[in-house]
Amino acid sequence: MSRSSLYINRDSTLHRLDPRSTLAGIIGLFIAGYIFDHPAFAGVPMLVGFTVLVLVGGWPNLRRLTPIIVALFSVGLAVWPFFTPAGGSTLIAFGPVALTEREIFFALGRSERIATFIFGGLIFVTTTTNEEIVRGLRQLGFPYVFCFAIGTALRLFPTFIDAAQTVRQAQEARGLNVQSGGLRDRLRNYIPLLIPVFMTAFRNVTTQSMALEARGFDTQRQRTFYNKTSLKRVDWAVILVAFVIAVTAVWLRAQGFGTL
Amino acid sequence: MVSDNHSIAARLRDVFFSYDRQSQPPEGDSTPTSSERAADGVLKSIDLDIPEGAFTVILGPSGGGKSTLLRTFNAIIPDFITGSFEGSIEVLNQDTTQTRVSDMATDVGFVLQDYESQLFATSIESELAFGPENIAVPPDEIAQRVSASAKLVGLDHLDRSREPADLSGGQKQRLVCGGVAAMHPQMLLLDEPTSDLDPKGTGQLLAAIRSLTGTELGTRSSQTTATSSTVETDWGGPETMVMVTHDITEALHADYAVILADGKITDTGPADQLLRSASTLRERDIAVPQLVDIFDRLGVPTSDLPLFVPDAIEVFESRGMDWNPEQLTVDGTAPAGTGSATGEVQFTLNDVSFSYESASETIPAVDDVSFQIEAGEVIALIGHNGSGKTTLAKQLNGLLTPDSGSVQFEGRDVSTYSMSEIGQSVGFVFQNPDHQIFANTVRKEVEFGPRNFDIQESELQTRVDSALQTVGLSEHENADPFNLSKGQRQRVALASILATHPRILIFDEPTTGLDAAQRDSFMSLITRLNQEENLTVIMITHSMQTVARYAPRSIVLRDGSIVYDGSTRALFADIERLEMNNLRPPPVVNLAQKLSSRSEKLSSSLPLSVHEFINCVNDTVSTRK
Repeated sequence: MSRSSLYINRDSTLHRLDPRSTLAGIIGLFIAGYIFDHPAFAGVPMLVGFTVLVLVGGWPNLRRLTPIIVALFSVGLAVWPFFTPAGGSTLIAFGPVALTEREIFFALGRSERIATFIFGGLIFVTTTTNEEIVRGLRQLGFPYVFCFAIGTALRLFPTFIDAAQTVRQAQEARGLNVQSGGLRDRLRNYIPLLIPVFMTAFRNVTTQSMALEARGFDTQRQRTFYNKTSLKRVDWAVILVAFVIAVTAVWLRAQGFGTL
Repeated sequence: MVSDNHSIAARLRDVFFSYDRQSQPPEGDSTPTSSERAADGVLKSIDLDIPEGAFTVILGPSGGGKSTLLRTFNAIIPDFITGSFEGSIEVLNQDTTQTRVSDMATDVGFVLQDYESQLFATSIESELAFGPENIAVPPDEIAQRVSASAKLVGLDHLDRSREPADLSGGQKQRLVCGGVAAMHPQMLLLDEPTSDLDPKGTGQLLAAIRSLTGTELGTRSSQTTATSSTVETDWGGPETMVMVTHDITEALHADYAVILADGKITDTGPADQLLRSASTLRERDIAVPQLVDIFDRLGVPTSDLPLFVPDAIEVFESRGMDWNPEQLTVDGTAPAGTGSATGEVQFTLNDVSFSYESASETIPAVDDVSFQIEAGEVIALIGHNGSGKTTLAKQLNGLLTPDSGSVQFEGRDVSTYSMSEIGQSVGFVFQNPDHQIFANTVRKEVEFGPRNFDIQESELQTRVDSALQTVGLSEHENADPFNLSKGQRQRVALASILATHPRILIFDEPTTGLDAAQRDSFMSLITRLNQEENLTVIMITHSMQTVARYAPRSIVLRDGSIVYDGSTRALFADIERLEMNNLRPPPVVNLAQKLSSRSEKLSSSLPLSVHEFINCVNDTVSTRK
């Protein structure tokens, strides 16, 4: 009943791009996001990612993932300080815990890096349909079976979640109380939930592969691609920009910018 | 079964098949009789010719092997499902036993029952292009085929970039048909394509199938070539169609009919002859078409029995029968639920609204609904796919909690009950049995509910025995449910709820996987429980025949709102309201409506069953059965 696909049907420049150029753009963003340690530098690609994501209509997806993003960001802030030596002046002193400037900047920078990756990934799935992902990967030279498997997994995941919800309702209506009993009982209570979910998935996969073959799907045979795109001028422009961003980021870093 | 002017599209000789790889038909004897074959064979010595250029329908009881038979036509058996196979099959001059499914796919298209698992793409356009891409049709031609197919199945008014997931059930199944049609198959196989669809979706799908063939179904045998007049393409539709169905009214459109029971072909012949043979159909546990049933019981000879309403009117008038709707005696045979409402209110819904949240929007499913249900009522919840029936039903036992408004069960808000508390009173049979089955034997599955409710062991065993007997699965109590047919699994799910002895039973499309005999025995059981033990029954169904026959009260939903709540008899007498809500009354009601308006004997209530109809007929022929 609920629709869980992440693709959002809009008409934006990014939506119209060839999936390969979108991918190039995202990789450019990832490199820029990865290379800097200093939060002031790492924050730039994060903000760019965030802005682009909102511009292409990705706000609903962002809202759905907000809890996860907030959790990763705050857990990161708490954990990352332990991965770097102390340095600079102490900014926060809290009983036995004292955080230096270096530790805080480091943690902030790393958390921004993760946020950049999430925004980049979301931009990709918000603007690219499964078919485009499959076609793009195929045109990059990956074997078709691999590309199709990726596409199918992306498509089936939401239905899998929906089925799990229905199974839970069906078993609760028959009196299953997952929370009852000790730890052993509780684990055992999950059997009536897990088996139908996996069995349904198994059956679906069987029916689906049967239906696939009946529709002429054959990995060993030559196939055509409808809507096969060639890279247009705007696609090349995006790839060029992505390349420039990546090279500039690497060059800046090599010059010593954005380090701690 | 094949007349001289037809060549053969599919030829099966001595076909044996079992899903069990170990199963072997006895060796040595060159012509073993079916009784000598291994008992677990799903197909046993099948000899069958399917005529080319015609529409053949395969009928038969649930679990008789219909879907399995259909799967041999495009090499799914034995290429994809290996099992144990023997015999020879030739389809469109190819030996299917030596051909791969994907190679057969260029000539043979297959539409399965479950449309969800046949949609592979994220837009209408790419879905229609998927098949042609697979068989390497050049992209320019795919573009033409996509347009032509969208038009053929009546989806050309939709934005082609729309996601299939957003479409209604009827639209999804038509999209599957369009995707198959875009491959330009010579032969089209349909496996219960309408069983999950509402009446409107069914009507539209059948219309789509009709436009595929370019002719009215059922008149194909008189055409020399099938040409599509509506769409410009060099492909004129599939020459040959084979459909498996439980719905006898769909079968009426076929040229040929095949009856398959227990893995054996019992009857073949022209559809109009076979479907008039009421005694054969009854013997084979196949629903007799209502009009055939009526006039057979009125003593009309088999060859004159009508299949469609216009023919029925002609027979009625030419035989000098007299229509007297005022003679209608409501004798409790229909609707059979007594609705022996005791006046004791069980459910009270006040202004209930509920919406689903998705990535980009909020989808309202139930909108400001209020009604009461009394103990002992039998209520049909009807409406189009996606009208909110299931969502509404799930409010009754607290599986879903309304966004606003309240649901009370026996004077207390549903949300104050624990699931196990309310589960003992309210049984809910879900649409898909696979969403609940987990045990490794049928018996353990049925025991699960009562055990959760701490029923005493001896009482529990008695309940399980009787539930299994009720659904006719006593013999299979030690079988692994995973290996049972869909219809059988549906019965396991039902038994597992019956064994909890609920006072209220809610079921969601319970009869889709059942054949006529099973459906009748299931509904008789429900009726008996309603009459004897005052069981309250709420059924979600698309089968208007079931509604007319069993539910005194109907609640009609449209887009989440109640558009009718009242007596089923009054609903079916109101032609305008039926049409407005896309409900198609059963043939008996349809005929009664027509006869009443022709004879100007308008009556506020119409017969709902064959039995009631016959009571309204005064005839000069006194050969009633």
